[in-house]
Amino acid sequence: MEEKEISPEESLKLIQSMIGKARRQYSDNSIFFLLWGWIVLVASLTHYYLAVYTSFEDPYIGWSLTLVGAVASAVIGAKKGKSRLVKNYMDKMYGWLWLSLGLAMFTIIFNGELVGWNTVPFILLFAGVGTAVSGAMMNFKPMQFGALAFWILSIIAFRQSENDQMLLMALGVALGYLLPGYIMKANSKKHGV
Amino acid sequence: MGFDQLDPLLHSQLRLAVMSLLISVESADFVYIKEQTESTAGNLSVQIDKLSTAGYIEVTKQFEGKKPKTTCKITSKGITAFETYVKTIQQYLKP
Repeated sequence: MEEKEISPEESLKLIQSMIGKARRQYSDNSIFFLLWGWIVLVASLTHYYLAVYTSFEDPYIGWSLTLVGAVASAVIGAKKGKSRLVKNYMDKMYGWLWLSLGLAMFTIIFNGELVGWNTVPFILLFAGVGTAVSGAMMNFKPMQFGALAFWILSIIAFRQSENDQMLLMALGVALGYLLPGYIMKANSKKHGV
Repeated sequence: MGFDQLDPLLHSQLRLAVMSLLISVESADFVYIKEQTESTAGNLSVQIDKLSTAGYIEVTKQFEGKKPKTTCKITSKGITAFETYVKTIQQYLKP
């Protein structure tokens, strides 16, 4: 591109094309969905197995994996941010959305005893909000479908025992995080985001 | 009815391209702007300096390891100038 005078028509075309280029850029965030999808899947199934089939005293032990997840997410997020050549508002909103939801989830788990350890339905609801908004921002239908799954499972979970809630949690992340996460990963490979 | 004067700083292909890119994002790296505008580093550098001197964009130079990293961000003065420019262009294009 040269530095030259242009006509008003050319000017408008140029503005449109440049804004279009900037808008098309979106980041492949599938790694976070896959990371958390697997962590929650393993933790909830372990919890269910230990609570139902063994006399192990601390069936929730698997949830300590979430600490690893939190550290890994922070490290991956910081690395991605550094290597990113362009910072767009969508990435910023996306980051704040999940950070706030993460804090909300932590708050409900931290105060779990006060709600009779009925934390899963709330976590499913929060995850549903996150995937619904993320899906809409990226115009990515599988994630919006995942949000619907989280919401329905949350309604069911409110009516189940703590142990059975773990199975719904596992199903929720499989449909809401892992499935859309793998589709997103495959798409970004194909289109080279 | 006379037309308003088009801002000469913006009414130039490369500078307008840079501003149009920056108005849509929070900030962008020099390398990204160079790729998207398909310009040469030398020319882009000159135009970015002009926009920066006018206060339309903010340029931050950092080092990432040993590599220099230049980040550009549009300022509120730049946004106003860009909006005025688009309004003026619309006057020219009205039938």
